[in-house]
Amino acid sequence: MASLKILAVDDSPTMRRIIVNTLKRAGYEDVDEASDGKDALAKLQVDKFDFVITDWNMPEMDGLAFVTYLRSSAEFKDLPILMVTTRSVKEDIVEAMKAGVNNYIVKPFTPAILNQKIEQVLQAAAGG
Amino acid sequence: MNSQTESSGVGTNHDLHVQLKELANSLSEIVSSIRAAHEPIVESRSKVPEATQQLERIAQQTQDATHRVLDMVESITKREGEIESLLKQLQRVLPATYFRNNSRVKRVIGEIAKKTSDNQNDAYAIMDALQFQDITSQQIEHAMTVLEQVEHRLHEVLVSFGEEDLKAPDEPSRKRSYDPNARYSSDHRG
Repeated sequence: MASLKILAVDDSPTMRRIIVNTLKRAGYEDVDEASDGKDALAKLQVDKFDFVITDWNMPEMDGLAFVTYLRSSAEFKDLPILMVTTRSVKEDIVEAMKAGVNNYIVKPFTPAILNQKIEQVLQAAAGG
Repeated sequence: MNSQTESSGVGTNHDLHVQLKELANSLSEIVSSIRAAHEPIVESRSKVPEATQQLERIAQQTQDATHRVLDMVESITKREGEIESLLKQLQRVLPATYFRNNSRVKRVIGEIAKKTSDNQNDAYAIMDALQFQDITSQQIEHAMTVLEQVEHRLHEVLVSFGEEDLKAPDEPSRKRSYDPNARYSSDHRG
């Protein structure tokens, strides 16, 4: 668990701080942040990440465009992605899943839900 | 027959005259109403940028305050973690006889550890609740966008009144991205 390198992508500094704190509390010590999809892509070019947690509504490049880009790239097509967003309608969830997210959380989330979803995504990824 | 036609023609002309007069009065009232509406429209349009800026300040102040609370919560959880660590050190350095059976030392240390853990959990709950700031910030961004749309509409109305030289509304200072349906609900968490 502790060796997992996670990238948290959200335009809200408050949400980034809460997500990073929640992850560290759960034992994920290696966490970096990005303020939108464009910033996240720049970080992914420099560092290797094992897991991405991304918001949907962000300026410059939103979460959906970011995920679509990653899934079209040979390098990142299998990178586990968890979307954490306020968008709660069924159509949005379906759209995000179609774009390629591995799982989806509606804000506000509880630490237990975040940890559970991360585990589910990792288990599914490990299972093939 | 002729006299009938003449008399009905006179009646028609009279009706037409009355209708035209009513129409003229109505148009006059409409023009007066438009004139009367002009000033409030100018006033309303001029107030929109101020209202938008005020919302922007509210969003910024809420974010700043949230981060001050986060600073405090992080300090509290760090100190509580240090207290837990110190209690463990205390248990190691004190003679084992102090912890036999249900000794007072054992009970007191146990109570301190429990209260420390409770404090830490409460502090984390405060941190989790601060997610409201992201959600209300998106609601404010939505309200700001709606206000700017109203400002543009009012501007168009004033231009149609003949004020072609009126300065167009300023564009937003930064790109906005928000969920117009963002809601804070602890019921649907996750």
